[in-house]
Amino acid sequence: MSDTNRNRLMLVIALIMAAIYLFPLYWMYITALKSGSEMFATPPSFWPSEPQWATYAFVWESRGMGRYLWNSLVIAFGSVTLITVLGVGCAYVLARYRNVWVDIGLFLILMLQVLPASLMITPIFVGFSQLGMLNYPRLAVIIAIAAKSMPFFVVLVRATFMAVPQELEEAALVDGNSRVGAFFNIVLPLARNGILVSAILIFMQAFGEFVYSKSIIQAVELQPASVGLNSFMGPNTNEWNNIMAYATIYVTPILAIFVLLQRRIVSGLTSGAIK
Amino acid sequence: MTKQIELSGVNKYYGAFHALKNIELSIEKGSFVALVGPSGCGKSTLLRSLAGLESISTGDLKIAGELMNNVPPRKRDIAMVFQSYALYPHMTVEQNLTYSLRIRGVPKAEAKKAAEEVAATTGLSQLLGRYPRELSGGQRQRVAMSRAIIRHPKAFLFDEPLSNLDAALRVHMRKEIRTLHDRLGATSVYVTHDQIEAMTMADHVVVMKDGVIEQQGAPLELYDRPANKFVAGFIGSPAMNFVPAVVGEDGRSLAVDVGEKQTITLDQQLQPGRRVTAGLRPEHLHFVEPGQGVFRLPVGIVESTGSATYITTATAAEVTIVETARRPVKTGDIIDVSIRPADVHVFDGETGLRV
Repeated sequence: MSDTNRNRLMLVIALIMAAIYLFPLYWMYITALKSGSEMFATPPSFWPSEPQWATYAFVWESRGMGRYLWNSLVIAFGSVTLITVLGVGCAYVLARYRNVWVDIGLFLILMLQVLPASLMITPIFVGFSQLGMLNYPRLAVIIAIAAKSMPFFVVLVRATFMAVPQELEEAALVDGNSRVGAFFNIVLPLARNGILVSAILIFMQAFGEFVYSKSIIQAVELQPASVGLNSFMGPNTNEWNNIMAYATIYVTPILAIFVLLQRRIVSGLTSGAIK
Repeated sequence: MTKQIELSGVNKYYGAFHALKNIELSIEKGSFVALVGPSGCGKSTLLRSLAGLESISTGDLKIAGELMNNVPPRKRDIAMVFQSYALYPHMTVEQNLTYSLRIRGVPKAEAKKAAEEVAATTGLSQLLGRYPRELSGGQRQRVAMSRAIIRHPKAFLFDEPLSNLDAALRVHMRKEIRTLHDRLGATSVYVTHDQIEAMTMADHVVVMKDGVIEQQGAPLELYDRPANKFVAGFIGSPAMNFVPAVVGEDGRSLAVDVGEKQTITLDQQLQPGRRVTAGLRPEHLHFVEPGQGVFRLPVGIVESTGSATYITTATAAEVTIVETARRPVKTGDIIDVSIRPADVHVFDGETGLRV
């Protein structure tokens, strides 16, 4: 087989894989536009005959999606801010000092990352309840998400810091800056891209977080969109078009951000690792 | 002359590793001092201790008469040029130059003026708006130098600043740095592993090995009277030949073992029968008529650089001879060479110290 033919074959395989992978997304978008009868038609239709645009407005209104999305935003921004403020310093220290304790610290951090949220939620719930944190459920969720996602952020940002040569900092010290000044003037601007990318990834994770929010937030008016979506579900659910419309509204902004920043995200993730 | 930098009894430990051993060094104001030695000899550690990037474990470190042991780098008023230049990549050349001034709160207009003045003397005027990534190696080197100059510090520290440049540019920058030093009347400490750089640039050369200062002094003093075998072999290129020898019965001659035993006369009286090492510089061995020389040596390898020919002998203890006159010498020839008694260096056979 010649090189071009092999490349073509590879391309076809890649396209098929991508189609399989992206099919649920496609199904979400078209189901949202189908009418009630078309939804259950056999054989299923792959393109809505009469797009039902009104579904979006109906779902937005009837479900109070504005409030849900606002809650999601509050939780996501809160988590990202908390993680960034605390994680950057932590990552910097772990990047600059090398000894046994740093290795042990990194190991423990990665351990935390391994534990699933559904396992962690019981002790977290009990602990928060003892502390009276359940009276501030959104704050409680922000703290829980921060604890859960911090390791991921620290590991990524540490790699970014390690790519900043130590000599630059030393030059700043000799030039007359303090350790703290050198960090803010020299290291931080150079690590900015890596930190930004990691923060965006954390944001997208936190925006879709479900387990902690569902468990900790009881009041409907404080729940994020992920929990709101779940409240559709019941034993006799049949309003798939409304659910898909909800999901579309919820997911499209995140997808858009990812597509727009995709190139930077990928380069930001690898720049620390390769150099 | 006042002392600008003084080190007395300085030791540095990294855990159990003894990196600097009892360093005694005083550097006069306005002098150019080179720290030279093989990698891992402690020369960079010593320089970083001067800068305050490493702390010293024991001893005293004074800059301009003030004790600096625990003073952070920013308060030492010294400037450093790094091997990688360490230019701030997110700042333009001008911002790189003025960074130290801006930290000290110098007004913007004044800092800009200072940058323009320095740039004019180092040929960077056209490049002030560029970023480091848009500069060539030589230009980056100049920015690093200018960044040090702009502050008029008490001392300049150079950490192998030329090692990333190509050979031609290195020779050029060597002169440029020395000229700059003279014009500024600065005090400079220059770390290098290249003894030619040290010899050509410095007023005072400090040879280090394993954290110990082996010898320090004027370049030619080190070349003419090396204190031990290590310094003798390190200073001078190609390196000095070392051959085992025994002092003759009269105490004024050496029986040298180069393949066959040969005798050379000495200009000093030594204890007869003492085992020593004779140090013969390649450039001090000269050709003589057959039968007139002290050595008759078979030729092994002949390398010609054009200006000089390096001849390595095919003897057990290899001897290199540098000959500037062109001679039709080829592998397998037998050559006759001689050396003046005053040019023979004698080192103790066991300690390696100069006799």
